[in-house]
Amino acid sequence: MRERILYGLGAVAAALLVRNIWKLLTGLPDEAFQGAIFRIIFFHVPAAFTSFTCFLCALIAGIAYLKSKNLKWDSFGVSVTEVGLAFGAANLISGMIWARIIWGIWWTWDWRLTSMLICWLLYAGYLVLRRAIEEPTERARLSAVMSILSFSVVPFVFFSIKWFRTQHPQPVLFGDGKMDTGYRVMLYSNWIPLLMFAAILVAVRMMQERRQREIDALRRAAHAF
Amino acid sequence: MNDAAARNFEYLAYGLAAVWTILVIYVLTLVSREKKIGRQIEGLQRMLEDKQGK
Amino acid sequence: MRFLRQTLTVAAKDLRSELRTKEALNASLSFALVILLLFSFAFDPTADTTREISGGLLWLVFAFAGALILNRSFARELENDCLDALIASPVPGPALFLGKALANYVLLLGIEVVCLPVFGVFYNVHVAGQPLWLALVLLLASWGVSVVGTLFSALTVNLRLRELMLPMLVYPMLIPCLMAAMQLTTPLLAGQPLQGDLLAWMRMLIGFDIIFTSLALVLIDTVLIG
Repeated sequence: MRERILYGLGAVAAALLVRNIWKLLTGLPDEAFQGAIFRIIFFHVPAAFTSFTCFLCALIAGIAYLKSKNLKWDSFGVSVTEVGLAFGAANLISGMIWARIIWGIWWTWDWRLTSMLICWLLYAGYLVLRRAIEEPTERARLSAVMSILSFSVVPFVFFSIKWFRTQHPQPVLFGDGKMDTGYRVMLYSNWIPLLMFAAILVAVRMMQERRQREIDALRRAAHAF
Repeated sequence: MNDAAARNFEYLAYGLAAVWTILVIYVLTLVSREKKIGRQIEGLQRMLEDKQGK
Repeated sequence: MRFLRQTLTVAAKDLRSELRTKEALNASLSFALVILLLFSFAFDPTADTTREISGGLLWLVFAFAGALILNRSFARELENDCLDALIASPVPGPALFLGKALANYVLLLGIEVVCLPVFGVFYNVHVAGQPLWLALVLLLASWGVSVVGTLFSALTVNLRLRELMLPMLVYPMLIPCLMAAMQLTTPLLAGQPLQGDLLAWMRMLIGFDIIFTSLALVLIDTVLIG
């Protein structure tokens, strides 16, 4: 049953994505200064939204685990963090390709780029921490703490880097809050299939975590013989 | 403006390809983990059967 | 009141055992001096541009040296199961944590006080231009470093590769704190008073300290006991 839901979700997401890409390439006019390349933003920004949604879910999972001590929350936490990192990487890489064309450089220490990179490093640290702990409940407990701490440092990172960078001249960012309605609708309508895709990945990853726990239980049973 | 090169279509393709490549790589790691889990379960089941057979 | 006394007892115990052996203190102090020396090869130490990044250099040194102290903070208790004894003692987790953070804080401040004049001499910077403000920045930022660092020291104490994990996890967390400290220290070393934009950094530093101190106090029982 659960697998059928996932397949259905995947089909809807794929259909929406195909429709969106089609509309992107044929329906929307080019942005005045950037030509076709600006269309990357319709994946770039939704990917960032998706990854932050995932990190927010990781925070909720961390708190819920500490409250309930239910390992399901732990597997949810690690799943959303991994998927969030994947989407964060997609966001960073697509942004770099865009920047190469529009700004002429691969990377600039603009506050958005920098804070996204720091977020990425923080949550990558979460995964590294998990790898270093063998015992499942201890791993769940400590990584929940790490998740909560990571999320609480993110606003600080955002504000500090924004203050830091706005004191320097920076490339003028495209859009900057003023975006045509057609583009905006496109942006959000592309976020929905990406979120669905993320949800599928999270569900698959959670099933794997559950089976991994079953394996561990089997192994204990085998050794108990 | 219909000239594909002037409109940077090439790099748009690279950008979109990069986004999806990363996501596909993640999916592939999921698949490989799936396989690993399957192998482990198989091995364990065999081990349990062996032990029960004795 | 009792909580305060317990905190101070733990802090005094940590400081005493550190001052008797001086193992972390010596290592981190000489490490800090070596980094100060190495920086002089990275760029011209007498150039004016060096003065513009002096705050950044100084805090990098402190962050590196701090990691050595923080590593030892909980790891020292592993021998003879001292950590278990501490957890089993009637001292509550938050008091244990605060005591350890306080001890690290004092050690870190000690290293800073030694490094600051050395830095001033090596890099031709007048460190005492704004002594009170500089002291305030040092006090606030070092507290941020020791609170977050001590929490992670507790978190990583039972891990494999503890010495590697701690800096890897702590430095990204400390970015806002260190950045504010760097932004504030550079003009202070140039002798300028704090005003305007810089006060916003000061507020952020205070906010960081408050939020992470309270988070650490809430989470420490989970980290230590589960």
